Amino acid sequence: MSTVLQDIVEKKHYKFIDGAGLTWQEAVKISTESLIADGSVSADFYKQIVACIEKYGPYMVFEHNVAMPHTTENADGVYKTGIGFMVCKSLIDFGKDEDGEEKKANLFFTLCSANPAEHMNNIQQLASIFQNEPLLDALVEAKTPEDILKAEKDFPCEDD
Amino acid sequence: MAKLDGKKLLACCANGAGSSLLMENAIKKVMTRNNIKPAAISHCAVSEGKSAAANYDVVLCAKPFAKTFDGIDTSKTALITLKNVMSDKEIETALKDAGLLD
Repeated sequence: MSTVLQDIVEKKHYKFIDGAGLTWQEAVKISTESLIADGSVSADFYKQIVACIEKYGPYMVFEHNVAMPHTTENADGVYKTGIGFMVCKSLIDFGKDEDGEEKKANLFFTLCSANPAEHMNNIQQLASIFQNEPLLDALVEAKTPEDILKAEKDFPCEDD
Repeated sequence: MAKLDGKKLLACCANGAGSSLLMENAIKKVMTRNNIKPAAISHCAVSEGKSAAANYDVVLCAKPFAKTFDGIDTSKTALITLKNVMSDKEIETALKDAGLLD
């Protein structure tokens, strides 16, 4: 079975952008473009993610500048289960969280879920990736899909 | 017998599809590591979480959602709020602080 990162490369669910001057709303939108391209989500799916962050704050931005924008399972405009991966050269500012801490992201894993079992598998793998700092450091330097695969090979996640 | 054996735990986030799953994953790690066998570990959206809370012994959520649970019966259901929802270490510490884990 392929890993989520292999799946991202295989399905061309990746995007490498500069990101300078983008608002977080624009960045979230761009992070869904690779998912729109193969019909995984609709063109305005990103609006639901933006609305959720506007309502609850940037709680989906984690440590190490990792963002996991998402909505709900079987959301409107979601047709497949997948992950839109995006690397930004610049950090995207998501504003402050409930503790007044600045939240910024340069690694995006934007989720869409049409199948709970596949989605749970994706999340479990992402949980390992998000705690694998050397891998995150390598992914943020990625400029090509080959770089993504190399990062995974160099810094594999331990099996739980 | 560990305090959380046979108990029911619920992880909540905005949509019940992202962070709550990360949380559920991390909770499972803590349970396995401490050799605890809870009756259930579930996840849901905060919109369902408040009414569901009464059926659980422990509800865990990220800090921004804590106020959603205002008014739940905390003598029956413990509310644990987390800064980093995927940190099994933070969950472990929070459960210990709440007296739910030795």
